[in-house]
Amino acid sequence: MSRQRGVRRLDDDGGVEIVIGTGERDALADLAPQLRAVVDGTSDSDLATLVRDRLFPAAYPDDPERQAEYEELAGDELAQMHRDALDAFEATLAGGTTQRDRWSVRLSGEEAEAWLAAINDGRLTLATAVGITDESCWDEGPDPEDPASVLLFYLGWLEEELVGALQHGLDAAG
Amino acid sequence: MSTQAPVLDPTETQDTESRSAHDQPWNVVVWNDPVTLMSYVVFVLRKLFGHDEATANRLMLQIHHEGKAVVSSGPREKAEHDVHRLHAHGLHATLQRS
Repeated sequence: MSRQRGVRRLDDDGGVEIVIGTGERDALADLAPQLRAVVDGTSDSDLATLVRDRLFPAAYPDDPERQAEYEELAGDELAQMHRDALDAFEATLAGGTTQRDRWSVRLSGEEAEAWLAAINDGRLTLATAVGITDESCWDEGPDPEDPASVLLFYLGWLEEELVGALQHGLDAAG
Repeated sequence: MSTQAPVLDPTETQDTESRSAHDQPWNVVVWNDPVTLMSYVVFVLRKLFGHDEATANRLMLQIHHEGKAVVSSGPREKAEHDVHRLHAHGLHATLQRS
């Protein structure tokens, strides 16, 4: 019998175990380089520009001078944080264990946070591509003809699972 | 810009202005967006600001229903640090003078 898909907190080290389908793992591995192209700015399509505006929002939208200072101070570090999360996401996706149609991996707390960051970036990116401009856009569910839409909804499930597991860590710490 | 001749020592005026601007608190505002999960916003607010679940949940609902909420405030340097941490977690945050 296949193991149940999901994310569960490991009691011993604050990390988590992720169990997903092998096809889901492959979809995540395909997504990672697309996110990297957006973060690195190697893709200059209109879509990539829109996504970058969302991944790197202005701290001072009405004050270009202060905004420029903020970008100079924080911009590189922010981009590097996105890259570091993607590095950990990709490295752990390349590991793990496959049993029948299930892939599983054990992540440290830090790696789990990197997954959360990468998946959140993935949702922001795909939602921009799919054209989610309003909360009512979610009501219709995924478009089975559009792989980006299907992946976007899938990432929503995975992110809820991860947040649920990591939230337990905050409860324990509190 | 005023063309009026200065009546105070310009150096002192500038210093006073910059000091008062520096001391004026800044608000860190998180904006609603149609993509970010509510549970994720609660998680980030708890993790970054140490809020209990009820407080983080109340702020998240304020963001959701009113379109935005002030999640922290303080001197510019601290507020910028908070915005940077929120940006690192993918939240749409800006700074406003309070």
